[in-house]
Amino acid sequence: MVELETTQGVKTLHKIFLEDVYSIPGGEKIRLCQQCGTCSGSCPTAYLMDYSPREVIAAFRAGMLDRVLKSNTIWLCTSCYSCTVRCPAGIKVTDIMYELKRLAIKYKSWPSSSKNPAMSKIFIDHVHRFGRSYEAGVIGQFVLTQKPSLAWKFKGLGTKLFLSGRMPLLPKSIKGKDEFHKIIDLLATKEVSQ
Amino acid sequence: MADEKIAVYFCDCGTNIAGKVDVDEVVKWAAEQPNVTVAREYKYMCSDPGQDLIKTDIKELGVTRVVVAACSPTMHEPTFRKAAADGGLNPFLLQMANVREHCSWVTEDPVEATEKAKRILSAQIHRLPFNEALQPIEVPVNPDVMVVGAGIAGIEAALKLADAGKKVFVVERDPSIGGHMAMFDKTFPTLDCSACILTPKMSALGKHPNITLMAYSEVTEVSGYVGNFKVKVRKKARYVDTDKCTGCAACTEACVVQKVKSEFDVGLGYRPAIYIPFPQAVPLKATIDPAKCLTLSKGKCAKQSCVSACGPGAIDFGQQDEQVELDVGAIIMATGFELFDCEREARYGYGRLANVITSLEFERLSNASGPTGGHIVMKNGEAPKSVAILHCVGSRDENYQEFCSRVCCMYSLKFAHLIKEHLPETEVYELYIDMRAYGKGYEEFYKRLMDEGVHFIRGRAAEVSDVALAPEEEGRLVVKAEDTLLGIMRRLPVDMVILSAGLSPRRDAKEVAQTFGFGCSANGFYLERHPKLEPASTMTDGVFLAGACQYPKDIPDAVAQAGAAAAGALTFVNNPTVKVEPTISYIDPEKCSGCHICVGLCPHAAIQFNAEKEVAEVIEAACKGCGVCVAACGSNVPQQRGYLDKQIFAEIEGALAL
Repeated sequence: MVELETTQGVKTLHKIFLEDVYSIPGGEKIRLCQQCGTCSGSCPTAYLMDYSPREVIAAFRAGMLDRVLKSNTIWLCTSCYSCTVRCPAGIKVTDIMYELKRLAIKYKSWPSSSKNPAMSKIFIDHVHRFGRSYEAGVIGQFVLTQKPSLAWKFKGLGTKLFLSGRMPLLPKSIKGKDEFHKIIDLLATKEVSQ
Repeated sequence: MADEKIAVYFCDCGTNIAGKVDVDEVVKWAAEQPNVTVAREYKYMCSDPGQDLIKTDIKELGVTRVVVAACSPTMHEPTFRKAAADGGLNPFLLQMANVREHCSWVTEDPVEATEKAKRILSAQIHRLPFNEALQPIEVPVNPDVMVVGAGIAGIEAALKLADAGKKVFVVERDPSIGGHMAMFDKTFPTLDCSACILTPKMSALGKHPNITLMAYSEVTEVSGYVGNFKVKVRKKARYVDTDKCTGCAACTEACVVQKVKSEFDVGLGYRPAIYIPFPQAVPLKATIDPAKCLTLSKGKCAKQSCVSACGPGAIDFGQQDEQVELDVGAIIMATGFELFDCEREARYGYGRLANVITSLEFERLSNASGPTGGHIVMKNGEAPKSVAILHCVGSRDENYQEFCSRVCCMYSLKFAHLIKEHLPETEVYELYIDMRAYGKGYEEFYKRLMDEGVHFIRGRAAEVSDVALAPEEEGRLVVKAEDTLLGIMRRLPVDMVILSAGLSPRRDAKEVAQTFGFGCSANGFYLERHPKLEPASTMTDGVFLAGACQYPKDIPDAVAQAGAAAAGALTFVNNPTVKVEPTISYIDPEKCSGCHICVGLCPHAAIQFNAEKEVAEVIEAACKGCGVCVAACGSNVPQQRGYLDKQIFAEIEGALAL
């Protein structure tokens, strides 16, 4: 198990991850998981996942972080919240998937084939820059940096979206971007101090 | 008062108290307090040698007041009071100082704990000189017992008491006794016929000379006091003279309204507006449903064919509800359970998808006396080729009921067996989280079902849908679930889905409990006095619990608890009198101004107004010593014995004296 120097001393990565997940509201409820599989059975993308949401929780509790971070599961979550609504133990499965995504990015550990972390990162960068999503920029940067062949594949859809005014070429910023940045910066320092 | 000789006993309780409190220091300190003659430490005061210390000191040192610093008075106050009485001292001249629950168990720092122990002890030392010798009040006990609810638990308890020679009143809400057990087909794990083992007991109850059966009746009010309950029962009008009715059922065949959904068949079958719920009903009397009978609901029925069909002329449209008053000494509650409302779990499609049925509906479907004559069929009349049984519907789920309903695993196995027995070619899938086969012969039954070829899938069903994604799913139900042992998602195309619904408390459980003066647990079932040692008693003396009204139970457990409740009630009413704590209120007639405030506030109707003397008076046997009148009186007239103002103030002064 990887050991890390933290402000509270040397801890295993597993312990840090557990503490992190427990710190989100309701996060400690993963202790109550009875492995019934309601989350997986309710998940619309479970059939694409190498480990089901239930298995991710089991692996995470067992300290098998490699399984959790190298699986495509957390990146295929579509945030439909079916699992969260139905979980008999009240586990906020979707929120935990988000937390695991954050941790995976923080420790730069994800399946080598997956482009989802790059997509998440580009999306967040754009939101940070303009205060809102800028689709043409996001998709442009993603295609150019990750997989240029996609440009050919999606040219038809892209043209349609552009012509119907759904994907303007130039970015639009929100009002009060400075205040928005202050909020984000404050949140970032909070996260660091945690 | 200054001449009182107080003896102080400080219990170590092993290390429970001595592990935290410096007992030597406290005892040394106590010996120097005013009025204290002797202060002793002992390892276990509740042991025989510990109690002997109290007796000997009373006799040899002439001790007149005793304080035992030990555990909570709810544990051992009776023990020490008895020791004091054996030594020749009035037991009410003894006080407990709780230095365990209130001190050593809840204080972290030993120095603070020692200081707190002194204060708790000081309060009692200051109080004791004001204690008075009190004599317990004895009230006679009515030997008759009432049983509320006549499912298997109520029937069993009533029969036991009646066989022991007690007069028993059985009050049942429905037209017939029998409860849920009368609706079942087979019982797990022995598979004996439910009706065959229940109906002899029902019949015995109906005929027992010591039992007065009041079916189709409800308790509306309970008053009185321990050993002497006054119960008001409303006998609902059946619109049939039960003395004349022979139970021949000619009226039910003649009735023009034949299509009323039958409660007994949980809506799967029909009954007429005048009906006998099932052939073995006890009492075997017809009942008219006033909401469906044309004469009673619309004012006219062209034929009134029931009247002409009834030979003895028992139909009486003018019948009214009747109020009956009963005097009983003890009460057994056996009001049972309700099935979890499956429509709340919308994702399983109950009420929307035709062939999704509840467990109780399946019981009727597989029952030879049920609406299909025991044929397991879908809504279209065809036999299902595959059936999925979904466990834990409404149970073990914090969105609905957090508890395990205990019986569902086993009845689900029984269903699988019945399907295999009726339709050997049909595939049966059990979708479970954990298989709970904890009872005698239950694990063996589980093994038997594995052997019979039932498919067990470990995984809770996520949803039931009628949307087909593959040719084999067309026109069928699809159960979606993760097979957690294989780690794969499954879509099971089936023809019928049975929801193994959990057991819920009766929806009026809270109001009923209030009527009888006890409470409900957080999960809504009746609260027992002690979860382990007194599961069949309530907090109200003389009121007992039997069956699933306390917590979900299968038949053997319900019967066992009914026996325990009957034994409890029997012990209680077999004593000619019951001792009531004398710590009750009294009102000095010289001081009472007759303002009436206490009369209306007393929750036990224990204060009556004497119009002649124009003062309030306490009915001693009814007073429960709650102290409401003491607090409410503007002139401080009512005083509670054992809790007099001067005693309370002395106690406070003592606690603050250090």
